[in-house]
Amino acid sequence: MIVVEGLKVSYRWRQEPVLKGVDGRFDRKSLILGPNGSGKTTLFRAMCGLTRVVGGRVLVDGRNVEEIYAEPGVLSVNFPEAYSLLSVKVRDLITLYSDLAGSDPSKAYEILEDLGITRELLERRKLHELSAGQRKAACTAMALSMGARHVLLDEPFEQLDPARKGRLIGHLARYDGIILLNTHETWLMKNLPDWEAYFMFEGRMYGPARVGELLNVRLCMGKRARAVLCMEVSGRTVSLVKGRRGTLLTSLESLDRVYELALEAGA
Amino acid sequence: MTKYFTLNVKSMLTHPELLFWSIAFIEFWVLMWAYVFGAYVPKVEEAVRTYTAQAYGSLLTLSLSATAVGITEGFLHSSRSIRFVTKYTRLSPSRFMAEHTASSMLVLSVVAAVMYASIAGVFAHKFGMYTPPVKPLHLTAVTALGCLFMYAVSAFLSLAVVVLRAPRSARFVSYIPLILGFLAYGALWLDFGAAAYVSPFNCILALCIYYYSEVKPTTGAFVMGGGAEMDMGLTLLSLVCWVVALMALNVLLLRKMRGVGVEEIRVV
Repeated sequence: MIVVEGLKVSYRWRQEPVLKGVDGRFDRKSLILGPNGSGKTTLFRAMCGLTRVVGGRVLVDGRNVEEIYAEPGVLSVNFPEAYSLLSVKVRDLITLYSDLAGSDPSKAYEILEDLGITRELLERRKLHELSAGQRKAACTAMALSMGARHVLLDEPFEQLDPARKGRLIGHLARYDGIILLNTHETWLMKNLPDWEAYFMFEGRMYGPARVGELLNVRLCMGKRARAVLCMEVSGRTVSLVKGRRGTLLTSLESLDRVYELALEAGA
Repeated sequence: MTKYFTLNVKSMLTHPELLFWSIAFIEFWVLMWAYVFGAYVPKVEEAVRTYTAQAYGSLLTLSLSATAVGITEGFLHSSRSIRFVTKYTRLSPSRFMAEHTASSMLVLSVVAAVMYASIAGVFAHKFGMYTPPVKPLHLTAVTALGCLFMYAVSAFLSLAVVVLRAPRSARFVSYIPLILGFLAYGALWLDFGAAAYVSPFNCILALCIYYYSEVKPTTGAFVMGGGAEMDMGLTLLSLVCWVVALMALNVLLLRKMRGVGVEEIRVV
């Protein structure tokens, strides 16, 4: 289980914090939904101790993330920067990370072959020589193959075609562990109805709610009495409500659209 | 040892830029030292040995400094990965440091061996005689100590950039070993005085000259024949202190660092 308490992160001194006091308790597979620039990636970096936290703390299985060292099987992540330890071919990188994590490299190859990335390609190319989609898939496969109890996946579907997205969802559904997946796209929700969902806007987190419960909710401006969730977006309150009025959440291709809706309502 | 050791060695020894600046570029200076600067060196064994010792000391310092630039850049570009693997794999910070040190030392030793072999071969061709080092074991030990210092300084510089969150200075900082290496190379013309004991680059140069030729080098101005004769015990002590201090700092800094994104360095 990962617990975040009052998490504040800023990248530069006196800069407005990217995360403004995030609280959350992640003990099952969860989606973190939010537009680009809302702080999802920063939250993941802070969760695995890859960025400096200016306030609050992160507990992984009850232990402060800052105190965790040399513990394979606790956490993995699909950030490409976590896999740039050496400038070697992807095949060597998979061998290296499997060796360091004490896991089976064949799991990574299985996922990658399923996503249409052949071993021949992995033997010829370095990570930065792959296309953006292939690179993201390779990092996701390595993260899943490390057999960690917690896997943080940052936009794993980015630049994958629909067929491959479907196959990757299958791997995520079968994974035996806690997956936290962040995305700005809403199409994923109907494929993972049993997961929990959190929303992130402007460095603040809202939730949780069950994804299945959110499939029919609509976005309305202003605070509503029976809202499933209320969030602050660009200085306005946005409510997720069940009913016929408002914009269906799943009809938004990207959560970036929420900013437009908030601005339109304010105009 | 994990696979990190072998893959790091493979990665560095197949890196074209590192090979060019550490070996190919310095080979040009080996030829210059032999056939251009060495034109007026008398073909007397002692003179040739002293000259070869100066060439070995100077060019080894430059060559290892160039390798240190590659190690610094590699470290900086993988700082977030280092943080990740030291937390969530069996590679603890101290084990990572041990394997990174061992693999980098192997690469630096290969570079040093190439330097020695090429200087010996080219100078033997030029002067018609091979002048081996007077104290080969001591020279090997001092060369290894020089390699360890170059590793320690490059790891320290990259860790300092990451811990101080100063990716803007990354490019400049990665070249500091080479800049200081060239400064030490200036000892051929400049008398550094007491600073020759403080600069570890000058210490490497001086110790190599001494153990190759058994001629005590001066604090500088080798070409002009100036400077005071150096105390070799003090020189060795200075170098050892630098290595110990930097390695201790590296272990501390490694636990402090969070890593900087490659994109932050690239954007700058």
